[in-house]
Amino acid sequence: MQDRECVIVINDGNDTGFSIVNQLINQNYHVVLIERQLPKSDVAFNGIGTVEFFIFDFYNTELIEPEIKKLPPEIFPVSGLVYAAGIGGVRPLSLTNTVFLHQMMNANLYAFVEFARCICKKKRFKDGGSVVALSSVSSTKGLKSKIAYSASKAALDASIRGLAAELADRKIRVNSIQKGWVRADMKHSFIQDNMALSEADDLAKQPLGVIESEELAHMVVYLLSPESRSITGTNLVLDGGYTL
Amino acid sequence: MDILTNKTFLITGAGKGIGFHLAEALHELGASLILHTNSTDSMARIQSRFSLGQHTFFQADFSSPENLEDLWKKQISGSLKIDGYVHCVGIRSRRPINMLKTHDVMQVMTANFASYVEMIRLVTRKNTYNPGLSIVGISSISAHAGGSGITAYAASKAAMEAATRCLAKELYKKEIRVNTVVCGQIETEAYQTLMESKDDQTDKVLERQYLGLGKPSQVTDIILFLLSEKSAFITGSAIPADGGYLTT
Ligand SMILES: NC(=O)c1ccc[n+]([C@@H]2O[C@H](COP(=O)([O-])OP(=O)(O)OC[C@H]3O[C@@H](n4cnc5c(N)ncnc54)[C@H](OP(=O)(O)O)[C@@H]3O)[C@@H](O)[C@H]2O)c1
Repeated sequence: MQDRECVIVINDGNDTGFSIVNQLINQNYHVVLIERQLPKSDVAFNGIGTVEFFIFDFYNTELIEPEIKKLPPEIFPVSGLVYAAGIGGVRPLSLTNTVFLHQMMNANLYAFVEFARCICKKKRFKDGGSVVALSSVSSTKGLKSKIAYSASKAALDASIRGLAAELADRKIRVNSIQKGWVRADMKHSFIQDNMALSEADDLAKQPLGVIESEELAHMVVYLLSPESRSITGTNLVLDGGYTL
Repeated sequence: MDILTNKTFLITGAGKGIGFHLAEALHELGASLILHTNSTDSMARIQSRFSLGQHTFFQADFSSPENLEDLWKKQISGSLKIDGYVHCVGIRSRRPINMLKTHDVMQVMTANFASYVEMIRLVTRKNTYNPGLSIVGISSISAHAGGSGITAYAASKAAMEAATRCLAKELYKKEIRVNTVVCGQIETEAYQTLMESKDDQTDKVLERQYLGLGKPSQVTDIILFLLSEKSAFITGSAIPADGGYLTT
């Protein structure tokens, strides 16, 4: 199996994650896809590479270390890690209690750092490898009722810089992508968010329109490839002009 | 800054460092203070230092913010309406990634970030504050520049700043402003302890912080400005007090 480079993709049923997997197998990678649930039957992968599935509830971060230990030993050392999981959610301050904050931090920060901790060890991760996490423009922009979500993405982006500084010795690169409205995400949260935000139409702030998952997946593949070998510790913006 | 006289300010983490210096400055200006510490030592210290004046004291461990609501209701709310709140509570953490377990990340996020949001939730309730309330959080250059071993600390400060941007938008209609001060290396007790624990006495941060080591008063001056009406047009922002660090 080790004639193919292996990438671990962590995804929570999101189409963007599936799109990333598809592009990776098109590029002849071996993908280890970790999901929380079996994806719906209409999700199909095809390409010249290969994909293996593993399922466990990684938002329970205590499971991450034992589950990583159970992965087939021949996939290691891997050369890439993609964190495409995470949750959204809107709540005004009066309802933003500590439990809600922790929930958001847990899915968007703690689980990512725990995966990085368990996977970026010498025996499991190649020197020169690459880690990519999906962040959001909310990391840098304030929106009403997005206190917890924005904070969790900003925390994720800051953790990227800490990890990049620390793993630079091994030439391991760590980056995030701050995305705007991507079509796949809109299915889940767009309408709900817009109503709760009462910020007229948030999408109108994105002059180039909705981003297709494929474009985001391209950027992930680029960050995983040696073509981006000098990019580390950054938060790349893919937002159709949202932050203009 | 006599415009701060006769006003009421809440400072959490007033036991040492920046919080303590800020309490001194506001005390000198004749403000009423609600002062918080975690340890009994710090409480004793501020009770004796600020025995003269209209001050209220409370002790609370911010590692369990879910307990703050009860404590706040019992001890503080109802007594005074506040004009400003400065969150100086913070814990430092240095751990390489292979030792950084979820529990460690959570501990830092809870004390530095979740407690900040929880306190803001409590102080922005009706009848707790006067219009014009100014809230200030103490962030760090680590939120912007990466460093080995400070993943959790950096994340917690970045989270504070992001929450501040959202809160500013949410609370302006209640005439509340929210900002953070992004501190570089400041000469506090915590800094001295840090330097003493090091083998070599050089501080790499100061190579980029070209105005040199910061004095606590250089930070508290900025906080006083943010508390006053003179900064009425500033909200949601992260004001650097970094001796030039972030420009290099
Ligand atoms: N000094 C610097 O160079 C620097 C640089 C960047 C950012 N900052 C930030 O500025 C803030 C103040 O730092 P500092 O150096 O002046 O002071 P510090 O020595 O770090 O002390 C901060 C305060 O936090 C309180 N505290 C710690 N853990 C707590 C807990 N679990 N629950 C409740 N309170 C707790 C302490 O209470 P007790 O007194 O009771 O122990 C103390 O009063 C921090 O947020 C820090 O991250 C400082």
